[in-house]
Amino acid sequence: MPEEFRYTDEELIARFQDGDEQAYVELVNRYRDRLMSFIFRFVNDMEKAEDIVQDTLMKLYTHRHFYRNIAKFSTWIYTIAGNLAKTELRRKKRHKVTHLSHMGTEEREYQLPSVEPETGETAQGHFAEKQIQNAIQELPLHFRTVVILRDIQELSYEEISKIVDVPLGTVKSRINRARLQLQQALKEFR
Amino acid sequence: MDRYQFEDLISDFIENKLSMNQRKDFETYLDENPEAMQQLDSVKQVMASMKSMPEVSTSINFMKNLNKRIAAEKEAQSVVKTTRSFAGYTPLMASLSAVVVVAVVLLGLEFMPEATNQATFTPTMAEQQVDDLLPVLPTQASDELLAESEDDSTNVDEDMPNTTDFKDRIQLVGDRRP
Repeated sequence: MPEEFRYTDEELIARFQDGDEQAYVELVNRYRDRLMSFIFRFVNDMEKAEDIVQDTLMKLYTHRHFYRNIAKFSTWIYTIAGNLAKTELRRKKRHKVTHLSHMGTEEREYQLPSVEPETGETAQGHFAEKQIQNAIQELPLHFRTVVILRDIQELSYEEISKIVDVPLGTVKSRINRARLQLQQALKEFR
Repeated sequence: MDRYQFEDLISDFIENKLSMNQRKDFETYLDENPEAMQQLDSVKQVMASMKSMPEVSTSINFMKNLNKRIAAEKEAQSVVKTTRSFAGYTPLMASLSAVVVVAVVLLGLEFMPEATNQATFTPTMAEQQVDDLLPVLPTQASDELLAESEDDSTNVDEDMPNTTDFKDRIQLVGDRRP
Protein backbone atom coordinates (compact mmCIF):
# COMPACT_ATOMS: atom_id res chain seq x y z
CA MET A 1 0.00 0.00 0.00
CA PRO A 2 1.45 3.43 -0.90
CA GLU A 3 2.73 5.34 2.14
CA GLU A 4 0.28 8.25 1.71
CA PHE A 5 -2.71 5.89 1.87
CA ARG A 6 -1.52 4.05 4.94
CA TYR A 7 -3.56 4.51 8.08
CA THR A 8 -1.70 5.64 11.18
CA ASP A 9 -1.67 3.28 14.17
CA GLU A 10 -4.10 5.56 15.97
CA GLU A 11 -6.51 5.53 13.02
CA LEU A 12 -6.31 1.75 12.88
CA ILE A 13 -7.06 1.26 16.56
CA ALA A 14 -9.97 3.70 16.23
CA ARG A 15 -11.34 1.64 13.35
CA PHE A 16 -10.84 -1.54 15.35
CA GLN A 17 -12.69 -0.02 18.29
CA ASP A 18 -15.55 0.61 15.85
CA GLY A 19 -15.60 -3.09 14.94
CA ASP A 20 -13.26 -3.28 11.93
CA GLU A 21 -11.35 -6.52 12.53
CA GLN A 22 -9.20 -5.96 9.45
CA ALA A 23 -7.68 -2.99 11.27
CA TYR A 24 -6.68 -5.38 14.07
CA VAL A 25 -4.95 -7.69 11.58
CA GLU A 26 -3.04 -4.71 10.16
CA LEU A 27 -1.92 -3.67 13.67
CA VAL A 28 -0.80 -7.23 14.40
CA ASN A 29 1.20 -7.32 11.18
CA ARG A 30 2.85 -4.01 12.01
CA TYR A 31 3.80 -4.87 15.57
CA ARG A 32 4.30 -8.62 15.97
CA ASP A 33 7.97 -8.68 14.89
CA ARG A 34 8.86 -5.43 16.65
CA LEU A 35 7.35 -6.73 19.85
CA MET A 36 9.01 -10.11 19.34
CA SER A 37 12.41 -8.45 19.04
CA PHE A 38 11.82 -6.34 22.14
CA ILE A 39 10.53 -9.22 24.26
CA PHE A 40 13.12 -11.74 23.10
CA ARG A 41 15.98 -9.36 23.93
CA PHE A 42 14.32 -8.89 27.30
CA VAL A 43 13.55 -12.48 28.36
CA ASN A 44 16.12 -14.33 26.19
CA ASP A 45 13.75 -17.18 25.43
CA MET A 46 12.10 -17.56 22.01
CA GLU A 47 9.15 -19.61 23.17
CA LYS A 48 8.38 -17.40 26.13
CA ALA A 49 8.85 -14.30 23.98
CA GLU A 50 6.34 -15.59 21.44
CA ASP A 51 3.86 -16.43 24.19
CA ILE A 52 4.20 -12.94 25.62
CA VAL A 53 3.72 -11.32 22.20
CA GLN A 54 0.60 -13.46 21.73
CA ASP A 55 -0.67 -12.39 25.14
CA THR A 56 0.02 -8.76 24.28
CA LEU A 57 -1.89 -8.99 21.01
CA MET A 58 -4.74 -10.84 22.73
CA LYS A 59 -4.90 -8.03 25.25
CA LEU A 60 -5.07 -5.62 22.35
CA TYR A 61 -8.03 -7.63 21.07
CA THR A 62 -9.91 -7.97 24.35
CA HIS A 63 -9.04 -4.59 25.86
CA ARG A 64 -9.25 -2.49 22.70
CA HIS A 65 -11.68 -0.06 24.36
CA PHE A 66 -9.17 0.69 27.12
CA TYR A 67 -7.02 2.60 24.64
CA ARG A 68 -7.64 6.34 24.71
CA ASN A 69 -6.28 8.56 22.01
CA ILE A 70 -4.20 10.61 24.46
CA ALA A 71 -1.04 8.58 23.96
CA LYS A 72 0.57 7.03 20.92
CA PHE A 73 -0.62 3.54 20.14
CA SER A 74 2.98 2.28 20.14
CA THR A 75 3.46 3.60 23.69
CA TRP A 76 0.37 1.73 24.84
CA ILE A 77 1.27 -1.59 23.18
CA TYR A 78 4.90 -1.45 24.35
CA THR A 79 3.71 -0.74 27.90
CA ILE A 80 1.48 -3.83 27.84
CA ALA A 81 4.26 -5.99 26.39
CA GLY A 82 6.84 -4.68 28.86
CA ASN A 83 4.58 -5.32 31.84
CA LEU A 84 3.82 -8.86 30.68
CA ALA A 85 7.52 -9.52 30.14
CA LYS A 86 8.41 -8.27 33.63
CA THR A 87 5.67 -10.44 35.13
CA GLU A 88 7.06 -13.44 33.27
CA LEU A 89 10.59 -12.75 34.47
CA ARG A 90 9.44 -12.44 38.09
CA ARG A 91 7.51 -15.70 37.73
CA LYS A 92 10.55 -17.38 36.17
CA LYS A 93 12.71 -16.16 39.03
CA ARG A 94 10.32 -17.74 41.55
CA HIS A 95 10.18 -21.09 39.75
CA LYS A 96 13.73 -21.42 38.60
CA VAL A 97 13.51 -24.90 37.11
CA THR A 98 15.34 -25.60 33.87
CA HIS A 99 13.41 -27.57 31.28
CA LEU A 100 14.27 -27.92 27.63
CA SER A 101 11.23 -25.88 26.67
CA HIS A 102 12.33 -23.09 28.99
CA MET A 103 15.83 -22.79 27.58
CA GLY A 104 16.90 -19.82 25.51
CA THR A 105 18.10 -20.12 21.94
CA GLU A 106 21.66 -20.29 23.17
CA GLU A 107 21.03 -23.53 25.02
CA ARG A 108 18.87 -24.90 22.23
CA GLU A 109 21.60 -24.41 19.71
CA TYR A 110 23.68 -26.94 21.62
CA GLN A 111 20.80 -29.41 21.47
CA LEU A 112 19.87 -28.73 17.88
CA PRO A 113 22.98 -27.63 15.95
CA SER A 114 22.55 -25.94 12.60
CA VAL A 115 22.91 -28.25 9.60
CA GLU A 116 24.37 -25.52 7.37
CA PRO A 117 28.05 -24.76 7.99
CA GLU A 118 28.62 -21.16 9.07
CA THR A 119 31.10 -18.94 7.28
CA GLY A 120 33.76 -17.21 9.44
CA GLU A 121 32.01 -13.84 9.26
CA THR A 122 28.57 -15.24 10.13
CA ALA A 123 29.97 -17.22 13.03
CA GLN A 124 31.69 -14.10 14.35
CA GLY A 125 28.47 -12.14 13.97
CA HIS A 126 26.52 -14.79 15.88
CA PHE A 127 29.17 -14.88 18.58
CA ALA A 128 29.04 -11.10 18.99
CA GLU A 129 25.23 -11.17 19.08
CA LYS A 130 25.29 -13.87 21.75
CA GLN A 131 27.78 -11.90 23.84
CA ILE A 132 25.65 -8.77 23.66
CA GLN A 133 22.50 -10.74 24.40
CA ASN A 134 24.17 -12.30 27.46
CA ALA A 135 25.45 -8.93 28.62
CA ILE A 136 21.93 -7.48 28.31
CA GLN A 137 20.61 -10.27 30.53
CA GLU A 138 23.07 -9.23 33.23
CA LEU A 139 21.57 -5.74 33.41
CA PRO A 140 19.05 -4.90 36.11
CA LEU A 141 15.48 -4.88 34.73
CA HIS A 142 15.06 -1.11 34.85
CA PHE A 143 18.27 -0.66 32.81
CA ARG A 144 17.49 -3.52 30.46
CA THR A 145 14.07 -2.19 29.42
CA VAL A 146 15.22 1.29 28.54
CA VAL A 147 18.40 0.33 26.70
CA ILE A 148 16.54 -2.20 24.53
CA LEU A 149 13.85 0.33 23.73
CA ARG A 150 16.43 2.95 22.84
CA ASP A 151 19.28 1.10 21.13
CA ILE A 152 17.45 -1.86 19.57
CA GLN A 153 13.92 -0.54 19.08
CA GLU A 154 15.17 3.00 18.45
CA LEU A 155 12.32 4.74 20.27
CA SER A 156 12.61 8.35 21.40
CA TYR A 157 13.51 9.24 24.97
CA GLU A 158 10.09 10.84 25.41
CA GLU A 159 8.27 7.71 24.32
CA ILE A 160 10.43 5.50 26.54
CA SER A 161 9.70 7.82 29.43
CA LYS A 162 5.96 7.30 28.87
CA ILE A 163 6.29 3.53 28.42
CA VAL A 164 8.24 2.94 31.62
CA ASP A 165 6.45 5.80 33.40
CA VAL A 166 9.53 7.51 34.82
CA PRO A 167 10.78 11.08 34.26
CA LEU A 168 12.77 11.87 31.14
CA GLY A 169 15.94 12.68 33.10
CA THR A 170 15.82 9.31 34.85
CA VAL A 171 15.40 7.55 31.51
CA LYS A 172 18.44 9.33 30.06
CA SER A 173 20.51 8.53 33.10
CA ARG A 174 19.46 4.86 33.07
CA ILE A 175 20.26 4.48 29.37
CA ASN A 176 23.68 6.01 29.88
CA ARG A 177 24.40 3.74 32.87
CA ALA A 178 23.20 0.69 30.95
CA ARG A 179 25.50 1.49 28.02
CA LEU A 180 28.46 1.88 30.37
CA GLN A 181 27.68 -1.44 32.05
CA LEU A 182 27.41 -3.17 28.67
CA GLN A 183 30.67 -1.59 27.56
CA GLN A 184 32.38 -2.90 30.70
CA ALA A 185 30.88 -6.39 30.28
CA LEU A 186 31.83 -6.63 26.61
CA LYS A 187 35.30 -5.14 26.99
CA GLU A 188 36.87 -8.50 27.70
CA PHE A 189 35.43 -10.09 24.56
CA ARG A 190 37.00 -7.54 22.21
CA MET B 1 35.68 17.68 34.64
CA ASP B 2 36.35 14.42 36.47
CA ARG B 3 35.81 10.83 35.37
CA TYR B 4 32.29 10.58 36.82
CA GLN B 5 31.14 13.76 35.11
CA PHE B 6 32.69 12.49 31.88
CA GLU B 7 30.82 9.16 32.13
CA ASP B 8 27.54 10.92 32.88
CA LEU B 9 27.83 12.91 29.65
CA ILE B 10 28.97 10.14 27.27
CA SER B 11 25.51 9.38 25.83
CA ASP B 12 24.65 13.06 25.46
CA PHE B 13 27.96 13.64 23.65
CA ILE B 14 27.35 10.71 21.26
CA GLU B 15 23.79 11.87 20.59
CA ASN B 16 24.97 15.45 20.16
CA LYS B 17 22.86 16.84 23.00
CA LEU B 18 25.48 18.80 24.92
CA SER B 19 25.57 22.57 25.09
CA MET B 20 28.56 24.32 23.48
CA ASN B 21 30.30 24.83 26.81
CA GLN B 22 29.69 21.25 27.94
CA ARG B 23 30.95 19.95 24.61
CA LYS B 24 34.13 22.03 24.88
CA ASP B 25 34.81 20.71 28.41
CA PHE B 26 34.10 17.16 27.28
CA GLU B 27 36.49 17.36 24.32
CA THR B 28 39.17 18.89 26.51
CA TYR B 29 38.83 15.94 28.90
CA LEU B 30 39.09 13.51 25.96
CA ASP B 31 42.26 15.16 24.72
CA GLU B 32 43.83 14.92 28.15
CA ASN B 33 42.77 11.31 28.84
CA PRO B 34 43.46 8.73 26.13
CA GLU B 35 41.66 6.00 28.13
CA ALA B 36 38.55 8.22 28.11
CA MET B 37 38.73 8.30 24.34
CA GLN B 38 38.97 4.48 24.31
CA GLN B 39 35.96 4.23 26.57
CA LEU B 40 33.99 6.56 24.32
CA ASP B 41 34.84 4.47 21.25
CA SER B 42 33.90 1.33 23.13
CA VAL B 43 30.45 2.71 24.08
CA LYS B 44 29.90 3.79 20.48
CA GLN B 45 30.72 0.25 19.34
CA VAL B 46 28.27 -1.25 21.82
CA MET B 47 25.53 1.04 20.58
CA ALA B 48 26.32 0.21 16.95
CA SER B 49 26.35 -3.52 17.72
CA MET B 50 22.98 -3.33 19.42
CA LYS B 51 21.49 -1.42 16.50
CA SER B 52 22.78 -4.01 14.07
CA MET B 53 21.39 -6.97 15.99
CA PRO B 54 19.09 -8.91 13.66
CA GLU B 55 15.36 -8.51 14.15
CA VAL B 56 13.75 -11.56 15.68
CA SER B 57 10.61 -12.71 13.91
CA THR B 58 7.65 -14.63 15.18
CA SER B 59 7.29 -18.26 14.13
CA ILE B 60 5.28 -19.33 11.07
CA ASN B 61 2.53 -20.65 13.35
CA PHE B 62 2.15 -17.36 15.14
CA MET B 63 -0.88 -16.07 13.22
CA LYS B 64 -2.50 -19.50 13.23
CA ASN B 65 -2.21 -19.72 17.02
CA LEU B 66 -3.36 -16.14 17.49
CA ASN B 67 -6.41 -16.73 15.29
CA LYS B 68 -7.24 -19.85 17.33
CA ARG B 69 -7.10 -17.83 20.54
CA ILE B 70 -9.26 -15.10 19.03
CA ALA B 71 -11.81 -17.68 17.88
CA ALA B 72 -11.89 -19.15 21.40
CA GLU B 73 -12.31 -15.66 22.84
CA LYS B 74 -15.20 -14.92 20.48
CA GLU B 75 -16.85 -18.20 21.42
CA ALA B 76 -16.46 -17.42 25.13
CA GLN B 77 -18.01 -14.00 24.55
CA SER B 78 -20.98 -15.51 22.68
CA VAL B 79 -21.52 -18.00 25.53
CA VAL B 80 -21.54 -15.12 28.01
CA LYS B 81 -24.08 -13.30 25.84
CA THR B 82 -26.45 -16.29 25.64
CA THR B 83 -26.20 -16.97 29.35
CA ARG B 84 -27.47 -13.46 30.02
CA SER B 85 -30.59 -13.80 27.90
CA PHE B 86 -33.09 -14.41 30.76
CA ALA B 87 -34.02 -10.85 31.65
CA GLY B 88 -30.51 -10.15 32.87
CA TYR B 89 -30.18 -13.41 34.86
CA THR B 90 -27.96 -16.37 34.13
CA PRO B 91 -29.85 -19.68 33.86
CA LEU B 92 -28.40 -20.78 37.19
CA MET B 93 -29.53 -17.61 38.94
CA ALA B 94 -32.95 -17.77 37.29
CA SER B 95 -33.40 -21.42 38.40
CA LEU B 96 -32.30 -20.65 41.95
CA SER B 97 -34.65 -17.67 42.15
CA ALA B 98 -37.55 -19.80 40.89
CA VAL B 99 -36.80 -22.53 43.48
CA VAL B 100 -36.69 -19.95 46.28
CA VAL B 101 -40.03 -18.41 45.22
CA VAL B 102 -41.73 -21.83 45.02
CA ALA B 103 -40.28 -22.82 48.44
CA VAL B 104 -41.58 -19.61 50.04
CA VAL B 105 -45.08 -20.17 48.59
CA LEU B 106 -45.18 -23.82 49.75
CA LEU B 107 -43.99 -22.94 53.26
CA GLY B 108 -46.58 -20.19 53.42
CA LEU B 109 -49.38 -22.62 52.53
CA GLU B 110 -48.02 -25.15 55.04
CA PHE B 111 -48.14 -22.77 57.97
CA MET B 112 -51.42 -21.07 57.04
CA PRO B 113 -54.33 -22.02 59.46
CA GLU B 114 -56.81 -24.52 57.97
CA ALA B 115 -59.93 -22.45 58.86
CA THR B 116 -58.75 -19.65 56.70
CA ASN B 117 -58.32 -22.10 53.88
CA GLN B 118 -61.92 -23.33 54.05
CA ALA B 119 -63.85 -20.27 55.19
CA THR B 120 -65.06 -17.85 52.64
CA PHE B 121 -65.13 -15.16 55.31
CA THR B 122 -61.91 -14.42 57.13
CA PRO B 123 -62.51 -12.53 60.37
CA THR B 124 -60.20 -9.77 61.30
CA MET B 125 -58.21 -10.02 64.52
CA ALA B 126 -60.59 -7.73 66.42
CA GLU B 127 -63.57 -9.78 65.30
CA GLN B 128 -61.74 -12.94 66.32
CA GLN B 129 -61.16 -11.54 69.83
CA VAL B 130 -64.85 -10.65 70.20
CA ASP B 131 -65.79 -14.16 69.13
CA ASP B 132 -63.49 -15.63 71.78
CA LEU B 133 -65.38 -13.72 74.50
CA LEU B 134 -68.83 -14.93 73.44
CA PRO B 135 -70.16 -18.26 74.81
CA VAL B 136 -69.71 -21.16 72.48
CA LEU B 137 -72.96 -22.23 70.86
CA PRO B 138 -73.79 -25.86 71.63
CA THR B 139 -73.35 -28.31 68.85
CA GLN B 140 -75.06 -31.71 68.53
CA ALA B 141 -72.27 -33.55 70.37
CA SER B 142 -72.21 -31.12 73.27
CA ASP B 143 -76.03 -31.45 73.61
CA GLU B 144 -75.69 -35.19 74.17
CA LEU B 145 -72.95 -34.71 76.76
CA LEU B 146 -75.11 -32.14 78.53
CA ALA B 147 -78.02 -34.55 78.60
CA GLU B 148 -75.85 -37.22 80.22
CA SER B 149 -74.54 -34.82 82.82
CA GLU B 150 -78.14 -33.72 83.61
CA ASP B 151 -79.06 -37.32 84.28
CA ASP B 152 -76.16 -37.66 86.69
CA SER B 153 -76.91 -34.41 88.45
CA THR B 154 -80.50 -35.50 89.12
CA ASN B 155 -79.15 -38.38 91.09
CA VAL B 156 -76.73 -36.18 93.01
CA ASP B 157 -79.52 -33.69 93.81
CA GLU B 158 -81.56 -36.42 95.38
CA ASP B 159 -78.76 -37.32 97.84
CA MET B 160 -77.72 -33.83 98.72
CA PRO B 161 -79.68 -31.41 100.93
CA ASN B 162 -81.35 -28.42 99.37
CA THR B 163 -78.65 -25.85 99.20
CA THR B 164 -80.63 -23.10 97.51
CA ASP B 165 -81.04 -21.09 100.71
CA PHE B 166 -77.71 -19.39 101.31
CA LYS B 167 -79.15 -16.72 103.51
CA ASP B 168 -77.48 -17.88 106.73
CA ARG B 169 -74.32 -19.01 105.02
CA ILE B 170 -73.30 -15.75 103.40
CA GLN B 171 -71.70 -13.20 105.62
CA LEU B 172 -70.90 -9.89 103.95
CA VAL B 173 -67.88 -7.80 104.88
CA GLY B 174 -68.75 -5.62 107.83
CA ASP B 175 -71.69 -7.84 108.89
CA ARG B 176 -71.21 -8.32 112.61
CA ARG B 177 -73.81 -11.01 113.04
CA PRO B 178 -72.82 -13.88 115.30
